[in-house]
Amino acid sequence: MTRMDTHPIEAPATAPSAGGTSLHRFANPGRFLRLSGAVLPWLTAAAVALTVAGLGWGLLLAPTDWQQGDAARIMYVHVPSAWLASAGYFSLALASLFSLVWRHPLADLAAVEIGPVGAGFTALCLATGSLWGKPMWGAWWVWDARLTSVLVLLFLYLGHIVLVRAFDDPVRGYRSGAVLALIGVVNLPIIKFSVEWWNTLHQPASIKFTEAPSIAPGMLWPLLIAAIGFSLSFAAIVTARLRAAVMERRIRGLLLARAVSR
Amino acid sequence: MTRKSRRLTIVAVCGLCLSAAAGLVLTAFNDNLVFFVSPSDIGKTAGNGRTVRLGGLVEPGSVTRGDKTSAATSFRITDGANSVPVTYNGILPDLFREGQGIVALGALRPDGTFQASEVLAKHDETYMPKEVAEALKKSGQWKPESGAPPPVNKARGG
Amino acid sequence: MTHLPFVAISYALAFVVLVGFGLGAWLRAMAATKRLAAIDPRRERSGA
Repeated sequence: MTRMDTHPIEAPATAPSAGGTSLHRFANPGRFLRLSGAVLPWLTAAAVALTVAGLGWGLLLAPTDWQQGDAARIMYVHVPSAWLASAGYFSLALASLFSLVWRHPLADLAAVEIGPVGAGFTALCLATGSLWGKPMWGAWWVWDARLTSVLVLLFLYLGHIVLVRAFDDPVRGYRSGAVLALIGVVNLPIIKFSVEWWNTLHQPASIKFTEAPSIAPGMLWPLLIAAIGFSLSFAAIVTARLRAAVMERRIRGLLLARAVSR
Repeated sequence: MTRKSRRLTIVAVCGLCLSAAAGLVLTAFNDNLVFFVSPSDIGKTAGNGRTVRLGGLVEPGSVTRGDKTSAATSFRITDGANSVPVTYNGILPDLFREGQGIVALGALRPDGTFQASEVLAKHDETYMPKEVAEALKKSGQWKPESGAPPPVNKARGG
Repeated sequence: MTHLPFVAISYALAFVVLVGFGLGAWLRAMAATKRLAAIDPRRERSGA
């Protein structure tokens, strides 16, 4: 099986192994570059528009919370970044699955490029959570199940970032990183359900606080728009990084071919 | 094809084993993953002055603020079934008030009062504008001192 | 009971993370496009 890393010019759409034809069609980096090049400007425009609209609405126009006052406005940053921290890890695991099982060359690069972005969103989630916790709870940090499991998520991201770049042979890095990413998936349901399975300081609690999750519509809309904006931003950033990575790999291949032919 | 499905099988089997292991570990450590205990459970875990976190609602009408002679605040933490008297010497969080969920770090003294060294406020996941909260209070659908407010959306519909 | 500094820092952090990653990715893609256009024998397929 020809590795794309050493292949100077990718063959157009001819799958190297039988059975993988349909999947490897989408692995064609040339097609990816053309498709993503057409989509990325629109994606970026929508991401910027929705993020600015959601955050601007949340910061300036949304009503002040009855209980927490203006501090509740941190929600419009904290909650979308928390969702993207988990969703980003899910996409990392998905890319890792394709990388490990189907040896999908684009998935290898996607996993490498998703890692730092996901870590950035997770760090943003933890930082804004801390900034919210200090004035409201009275503590920057507590070791409850929710906060701890999100910290573990950050370490999984950081571990993946280091591991995937730790080998001279990039393929070994891709495989090891994929295994780590897939093992880490076990943390995602723990993050999600930590506030239901155990008593946590993080809301909602298991006892006496149990009400239907409720946010007034005037606060829910900016939150949803900010969340869509963050999702599109994440997608746009990863797409741009992936385009760069594909082109960088092609540059390496061309330079290598040139060096060999001389 | 066969190599791919073999790899997929390996990943699936590893995933199953891993989830089983994680589930067992979490079940085993269940008690340690709990951030706080309720007033009903504190007798089981907090013997001999061990430091624990006690969580629940501030019982309405139980708060005595510190004055010039002693800075200690005393109140009761309740979970509806049982309540524990708490004394605390320090700055209370802004959200502290009657009916509010809080988590206190401290130890149970022999006389049955809980000496807290740190009090954290716990808020629920209800977010609504001040005007809506006022309207709910005015219409009698929600008394803040008796606990969490009713779901906003239902209240608005009703 | 306003906590505006906490709110302001949170939004500033969001700005830094989003713009930082966005700008970094964009600059990297631009550099790669230029580099590739300079050495790629197949100009018409060099992306964008």
